[in-house]
Amino acid sequence: MNKVKILGSIFLIMLISFIFYVNSNKKREEPENRKPIINSPFEVDTIRLPGGDWGYPSPYAHYPRGPGGFKMCLIFDSLLERDEKGLIPWLAVNYEIQDNGKKFLFTLRDGVKWHNGKPLTMEDVKFSLLYASKHPMTWSYIFNKIETVEITDKNKVLVIVTNPGPVMLYNLGRTRIIPRHIWEKVNVPKEFTATEAVTGCGPYRLTEYSKEHGTYRFEAFKDYWGPAQRVKTLEFIPVSESILAFEKGEIDMSGLPTDILPRFLNDTRYKIVKSPGFWGYRLLFNMGETSSLKDKKVRQAISYGIDLDELVAKIARGAAIPGSAGILPPDHVMYNPFVMSYSRNLKIAKGLLSKAGYDLLNDKGLRKNKAGKVLSFQVLCSGREVRMVQILKERLFEIGININIQSVDGKTRDARVRNHEYQMAITGHGGWGADPDYLKIRFGHDFSRSNSPSVSGLPGYNNDTLNLLFHQQHMEMNKEKRRKIVFRIQEMLAEDVPDLPLFYTTGFTVFRPEKYNGWEFMFDHHSLAHSKLSYLEKKIRK
Amino acid sequence: MIFFQGKKSRVIEYLFTIWVIFTLNFFLPRTMPGDPFLFISADEEGEEVAQFSEEQRNYYMAYYGLDRPLYSQYFSYFSDLSKGYLGYSLYYNQPVTIILLHRLPWTLCLVMTAVILSTVIGIVLGGFCAVYADRWEDRLLYFMLIAISEIPAFLVGLVLLFFFAAGMGLFPLSGAMTHFSGYDGFMEKTGDILHHAALPVIALTLTRISGIFLLTRSSIITVLTKTYIKTARAKGISGQRIFIKHIFRNAMLPIVTRVFLSLGSLVGGAILVENVFAYPGLGKLMRDAVMMHDYPLIQGIFLMVTISVLSANFIADLVYKKLDPRISDAAAADGH
Amino acid sequence: MMMPGKYLTFINRFSKTGQTGLIIVGIVFFMAIFAPLISVHSHKLSSGPPLSSPNGEHILGTDELGVDLWAQICFGSRISLVIGMGTALLAGSCGGLIGVLAAYSGGMTDRILMRIIDIITVLPDLPVMIVLAAFFGPGLINIIIVLSLFSWVATARIVRSQVLQLKEQLYIKSAETYGAGTWYLMKRHFLPEIFPLVAVSMIRLTGKAIVAEAGLSFLGLGDPASGSWGLIIHHATSFTGIYYTNFWKWWLIAPWIALTLMVSSLAFISRDFERFADPRMDRRKNRYQKQ
Repeated sequence: MNKVKILGSIFLIMLISFIFYVNSNKKREEPENRKPIINSPFEVDTIRLPGGDWGYPSPYAHYPRGPGGFKMCLIFDSLLERDEKGLIPWLAVNYEIQDNGKKFLFTLRDGVKWHNGKPLTMEDVKFSLLYASKHPMTWSYIFNKIETVEITDKNKVLVIVTNPGPVMLYNLGRTRIIPRHIWEKVNVPKEFTATEAVTGCGPYRLTEYSKEHGTYRFEAFKDYWGPAQRVKTLEFIPVSESILAFEKGEIDMSGLPTDILPRFLNDTRYKIVKSPGFWGYRLLFNMGETSSLKDKKVRQAISYGIDLDELVAKIARGAAIPGSAGILPPDHVMYNPFVMSYSRNLKIAKGLLSKAGYDLLNDKGLRKNKAGKVLSFQVLCSGREVRMVQILKERLFEIGININIQSVDGKTRDARVRNHEYQMAITGHGGWGADPDYLKIRFGHDFSRSNSPSVSGLPGYNNDTLNLLFHQQHMEMNKEKRRKIVFRIQEMLAEDVPDLPLFYTTGFTVFRPEKYNGWEFMFDHHSLAHSKLSYLEKKIRK
Repeated sequence: MIFFQGKKSRVIEYLFTIWVIFTLNFFLPRTMPGDPFLFISADEEGEEVAQFSEEQRNYYMAYYGLDRPLYSQYFSYFSDLSKGYLGYSLYYNQPVTIILLHRLPWTLCLVMTAVILSTVIGIVLGGFCAVYADRWEDRLLYFMLIAISEIPAFLVGLVLLFFFAAGMGLFPLSGAMTHFSGYDGFMEKTGDILHHAALPVIALTLTRISGIFLLTRSSIITVLTKTYIKTARAKGISGQRIFIKHIFRNAMLPIVTRVFLSLGSLVGGAILVENVFAYPGLGKLMRDAVMMHDYPLIQGIFLMVTISVLSANFIADLVYKKLDPRISDAAAADGH
Repeated sequence: MMMPGKYLTFINRFSKTGQTGLIIVGIVFFMAIFAPLISVHSHKLSSGPPLSSPNGEHILGTDELGVDLWAQICFGSRISLVIGMGTALLAGSCGGLIGVLAAYSGGMTDRILMRIIDIITVLPDLPVMIVLAAFFGPGLINIIIVLSLFSWVATARIVRSQVLQLKEQLYIKSAETYGAGTWYLMKRHFLPEIFPLVAVSMIRLTGKAIVAEAGLSFLGLGDPASGSWGLIIHHATSFTGIYYTNFWKWWLIAPWIALTLMVSSLAFISRDFERFADPRMDRRKNRYQKQ
């Protein structure tokens, strides 16, 4: 049976040579295009960042999850922009708030061009705002919120909103301006994914996109009106292990888990930046009719029983800030540092529970009240938070509260939170740095009528003093006065603990300053790579 | 199976099967709890989610017709299907057909390579072992292959990933190709794609060899004991000719059937392996689609997979019939 | 009542690999039953510094919460066994019953059952399991049900064709003509013939179910509170930066080896059982040897 042997050996040889062939490829040098091009107006030729498919970067087609919207923002400019301190004029050179936040008057910049060379007109601005009010963009801020838009002068536009308040400035300012001549014929914007759909007036143009691989390439737009681009080409490539890719030089920036920090610390080639904590987990309480969580003392006891520092150390591996009971994170522009803090204290916790009537113990060491009601709760979470709940369970048992972990998939958890089918729940999301008006949506009473489901809508919670304060801050146009109200709100929330922020993550980011050092944050967001200003010249900001 | 019976009732049964599959296909994804337009929590730490307002959510429900009663959606699903339209992905903002067409080649590339490699290796090793049955070579190979084959492909993949990709850096950790690398030519590009596909293919192949191996080995052993082989030997026909002409041909029958019938289970393996290597095929898409509750996309993937499994079975039947005209209904039914 | 000697001869009938498999499965059973005794630390609460490498205190090290891995492996064996055997029992018995029913009653019932079997065979199991797992929600029982929904088909097919063959046997036919009742036939002739088949396929199903659960857990769709081996792997692989640290050397490898050993052992045992159930295999081999 020689033939079989021969066949077998041929096959083995083929296999081995295949592997070798494939290995020899590995040793190929880095692509040549890394060396700086002399005489180029750009500081760097190409910056590569971790990619992944987040959707076609039009204001309608990018995905609701993930950083797709930030890619879209590179292509599309808005009336205002966000820098490290706050809102800055962008397509609008200035704005005026009239009539207590009912009317907004924007003065537009001259000489702005679309990527196809056509000039941006006042009609485009008017069209964009009305269109976004009619068809919600994926990142929608003004859906159904615009009454009229009038062009009052050759470069002035007056927007009248349905729901007045200072937060509308932020919402109008962030809404992307799209070219009328392209979108006016489009009735199904989500399905409009032709190449024209990514014609904007922003600093970068999309030159390549692959959905299945998750790659994007952006190139600087020559005729950009604004600050010059410092980076000629931005490429997003998918990496499963961004640190490895960063070390190999495949990408120029990477998030960094705490355990890997030592690898890059004390090395002058690398710069490590800690992100502000605008992404956090919170523990929701269902304070509906029958729940023992309706009692403030029980919620406070739970807050005293939980060890937030332990969560930070174990779950976030140290890269987080323990939650502030006043909800707004310490990095928030309106953070009140003097709110009540619940550092772990078993004695106070137990005392509070006794005061709430749970002064008896059952045979398992759990607290119960005279009526025999035992303090035992289901905590709803998704698979990722199970470990967190395990720690909570361990700690709360020490004050006589039993926790049952109820873990479901993410979508189911969200649906049950929305329908109030939980006792306690954990959710994690971003946006903690946004305008404090979100406190009104989370804890204010009329959330049934409010349009954001941000969502929880805490069942069974109603505090009239707070509701009044929410309304006042919503209408208050004076910044300093508003800050005072928001401070007061945080104090009251910390006292009431309608829900408990567990921690705000502050990941580390590493990059090579030698290659590019222009990174900056937005005042309310936690990622360097997401800020459009990271890629632009810093000087003219007027 | 049912394909070759001229009887009308069989055809009706077959159509019924397809209808049930299509119907399941419609209702299964929709029974999942949760809502495709509800985003409260992020999936990953640090991930940004657009929290849709109630108004916005209603707008999308109406936009995609998901606010209509289920039966009406069911009818339009069928009328769309009859036109060959698989719907529009809720999450990916693209027609399902296009998404599938972009992903399919990558999965096919993995699956087909794995099938071919494992079949060839399995036959060669199986033939070898049958000839040397019960000698130490046979026992060693038998033991090794059984041991490896029972480990699920994704676990094999994990070990390959950690040792060869992460540990030694011989292979890329993920993906299907190097992006924006400016290939110098066709060969380089092919090499790069092969390099990326190597570990997933090896994982899938390793776990599939043993099935073919065992089948080849046992059927060759069986054939070797048949009288006509003995007669041929007695006639003095050379060993090689016997092997090729009689043994191999007879042993091929169950192997071919097996290969086609096993395509279905291969899909399952591929889904997990693609997730291990973040390979941009159907498997990864499937998981994401389920996570996002993207009904039309889940339906599309199911449909595609079931249709390919059905047609693989059909081909298996055809081949079986061609190779062995005596085939009876009962034998085909036992083919699994 | 069997004599101890009889057990020995029974075990001796196994091949070397089969015996090794029996020993390993035995060890896993032992671990599962005596899990609280053989693991010093808790399998849920932290008992040491996070991510410490194997040492005297924690023989397999700890995970990122500082939970002892050896304890997790021990308790995880319970989950694997419960899921494996639960699925095997449920799917095996249902599959066996349906197989007998289909073959014995024939006609319309047979056709309908065969259609259902066809449909389930054609449906890709893992994707549907993913959807069903999301639908039923996590939980051991639910996972067992989901896995069983797909696994009974194989058993039913095998049993059906065996019963069909038996029905054609002369002695059954003659028994029938002599007026033997259905129940009598079942008890006297069918069950003894079918039982070994079902037993063998149940062992196979056990292995398959363990693997399927691990797969679902790995995708993050299993029961996140169960602590199965697959889940440990899921936690390890989803730890950011696992590739650069040494953590995977204990955190990932331990559950990996446990799973692999268990699954391969079951495979070896089932192979030997197949040999017992179908003794022709042996004879063929011997005849060939003699040539």
